[in-house]
Parts: sequence; structure tokens; C-alpha cells
Amino acid sequence: MITKFMTEVTAKFNPFSTCAKPARLFLTFLPPTARSSGMAITTTLLPRHSTEPSSLRVKFKDGKELDFNCEKINIKGLVEEVDRHSRQLQKTADLTD
Amino acid sequence: MAPRISRTFSPCLRQLRRDSGLPQKSWALALRSISTSGQQSAAVSAGVRPPIDYTHPTKPPSARPVETRKSQLIRTYTSLLRTTPLILFFQHSNLTAIEWAAVRRELKKALLQVPPPNAAPGAEPLDITPLVQLQVLRTNMLSVAMKIVEFYNPEVAASSVNTPRTSRGPVIHDLSEAAYEAVKNIDVPADSSFAQIEPLLVGPLAALVLPAVSPAHVAAALSVLAPVPGQFPAPTRKKSPGFHDPICQNGLAKLLLVGGRIEDKIFDKAGVNWVGGIQGGMDGLRAQLVGILQGAGLGITNALEGNGKSLWLALEGRKIQLEEENKAVDGEQKVEQ
Repeated sequence: MITKFMTEVTAKFNPFSTCAKPARLFLTFLPPTARSSGMAITTTLLPRHSTEPSSLRVKFKDGKELDFNCEKINIKGLVEEVDRHSRQLQKTADLTD
Repeated sequence: MAPRISRTFSPCLRQLRRDSGLPQKSWALALRSISTSGQQSAAVSAGVRPPIDYTHPTKPPSARPVETRKSQLIRTYTSLLRTTPLILFFQHSNLTAIEWAAVRRELKKALLQVPPPNAAPGAEPLDITPLVQLQVLRTNMLSVAMKIVEFYNPEVAASSVNTPRTSRGPVIHDLSEAAYEAVKNIDVPADSSFAQIEPLLVGPLAALVLPAVSPAHVAAALSVLAPVPGQFPAPTRKKSPGFHDPICQNGLAKLLLVGGRIEDKIFDKAGVNWVGGIQGGMDGLRAQLVGILQGAGLGITNALEGNGKSLWLALEGRKIQLEEENKAVDGEQKVEQ
């Protein structure tokens, strides 16, 4: 996963529901230096019996925001969606160099 | 040249082989009847069959390959789950080794400040502080171990007829075939604690293991690992500067308390905080219970006493009244005389 164009990751999930899996796995995909390299990562735990679906919000350097409802998507889909935008940013960054 | 020869001669060769097959077989038969070892001893053992029961004293037959790390992890985790009443689960997302070291150092420091518990009379005071560990678990092996602990009953398996037996008793250990069959195709009941904790067992997991339910230790650990302002405040910058070290803070930011297993019940973060917030630990709870029971006893004695008291008061009042009347009557009689 290309993480260097993300500036903000906000995950919100109830760990006791099965739909927390993509959001939790997404957090583990971030590199160990993510926080020190300026990415803001916020995690909110929902209480156990809440039925609110887990969600993930990713903000990129160009200001684009991606909002995911983790009930509908799995971790592969998440990575694919995020990488699609990251690759575009990578391309423009390569061209300006 | 050579392939052509082989092609032309191959039918002949095959014929030869077929012909030579018969005498060879008969030779083998003849040899078997002549020889005194090997086959004959096998025939004897087939009649008695003791060796199938022979087992190595320390290596009972097992359904899983015992040398692998995974099998041994299952054994470790089942014994951990059976003996440990309090486990808190954390998700750890890519902590580096330095960060782990810093987190463990701060955890140890916080736990050392917990006062040792009051020993019960006649018992050795048991300080669990050095036994509290933060360890990384293999999630899938933990899930298998949890299934075994919850759905496999060795005693039932021991009394079952289908369990294979050896001369040393039935094979009922955690890697045995009985255990494997018990958890292989199980329908997990929705109210079981495994069904509750199953969604938690995702991704990298670490566990804080406490060998006894000690709310004081939970509170100390939570104040470092998952501080809640007000309830479990993080240590101050003056008291433990190491906690506010960027390395430690970075590591703690990646640790996320997802739930806990306390005496076979599954708790979420709020539940864990509640357990950590029990004042005075188990002794405190006992004191509260004693207080409640004493209060109830006092109330009952008061209520039961009340009736008797009022009756006594009424009778006493009547007695005084009668005495006064008697006195009055006596006085009147004296006056008449």
C-alpha cells in the first residue's frame, strides 16, 4: 500500500462486530514511522452494543477525502481504492520532478 | 540404433518378464516359509497385538505434528487460557522493537508502584507484579486454543468409547485426535464466549496477562497502556519522564485496547475500565458485601425488635397507669378513714 500521500486516517469501529475487520487491518498496514512522518491517525472505539457500522476516512495530500463504510468493503478493496488515488498522486509527483 | 533395438525387442522382453514372474513369486513364498525371522514374528504379534498400545512415556500419540511451532503454541495458549483469569487484548500495529521495550519498561514501572496486597491470615502473601506480562500472541493459534478450551472437555472424551486408548490411559491431551474432532466442525453457539470474542481475534494481537484478578494492577496497567483522563490518569511528566518520551508515546499510540477476558467472560473497553475501577480490589468488594449484609441484619433486628418493643412499651404504660390508679384509690380510702 502506498502510504506516503496520506495525511490523515480516521478509523471508527466497534471491535465486537465483524465489520471492524477491514478498518483494523487497514491500521496495521500503516508503516511504523507513519506518525513520526506527519500522518495523523485517530482511532475511535465504539461501545460494544452499538450497531453503527465501522467507517474509515482517509485524507490525501491534495485534499481529497475518501470515506469508506467498512460493512460493504473488505481490506483488499480498501487498499485498492486508496492505492488508485495514491498512484495518481505518484504520477503527478514523478512528472513534476 | 539403440532405440530401434529396444523397440523391436521390447515385446520379447515383456514376455520374458511375464514368464520369469511366476518362478520369482514361488521363490518368495518358499523363502518366507523357510525363514525364521521377520514375517513369522509379525504373524505372532498380529495375534496378540500388544505393541499398538505401546506409547512413549513422554510422547503420547497426537493428531497434530508435535514438533511444529504451531502445535506447541496451541499447547501454550490452552494452558494460558485455563490458568489465567484476566487477559486484556490489545491490537498492536507495527510497533518497533525499541517501542516495545519502552512500553514494557513503563508498564513495569507503573506496576511496581502498586502496593502489595494484604495477605489472608495463614496464607503466603502473593505479589503478582513480576508475573504480569505483555506478550504478543499468534491470533489464529489463539483462536484454535480458545475453541479447545471452551468446547473440548477432556473428561467427557476420556469416558467416551471412541477415544483411542493406550496402556497409559485414553489419549485426551490438547493435541489429541479427540480434541481435534471436538473443535473441527463445531457449530459455535451464539451465547458462548468464543462467539463473543471471535470478531476480536483479527490482525496482530498482544495480551496483557494477569495471573489473578487484581483491579489495582489493572488500573496501573491501564494508566499506562490506555489512559482514561479522570479514571486512569497517565503518569505525570515529573513522575515518569520515560512515559512522555516520544518513542514510548509512539508505541502507545499504536497499541489499542480492544477487549478483555475476565474469568471466562468477555468485556469491552468500558467493562475493563469498570473492573479496573473497583476500589480496593477484591478486598474492597468483600468489605462492601460485608457492609451490605451487616446493614441488612441490623434492619431485620430493628424490625423484629420493633413489635416487641412497642408491646412492652404499651404494657409498661398500662402498668404505670394501673399503679397510679391504685395509688389514687388507696389515697381516697385513707382520706375516707
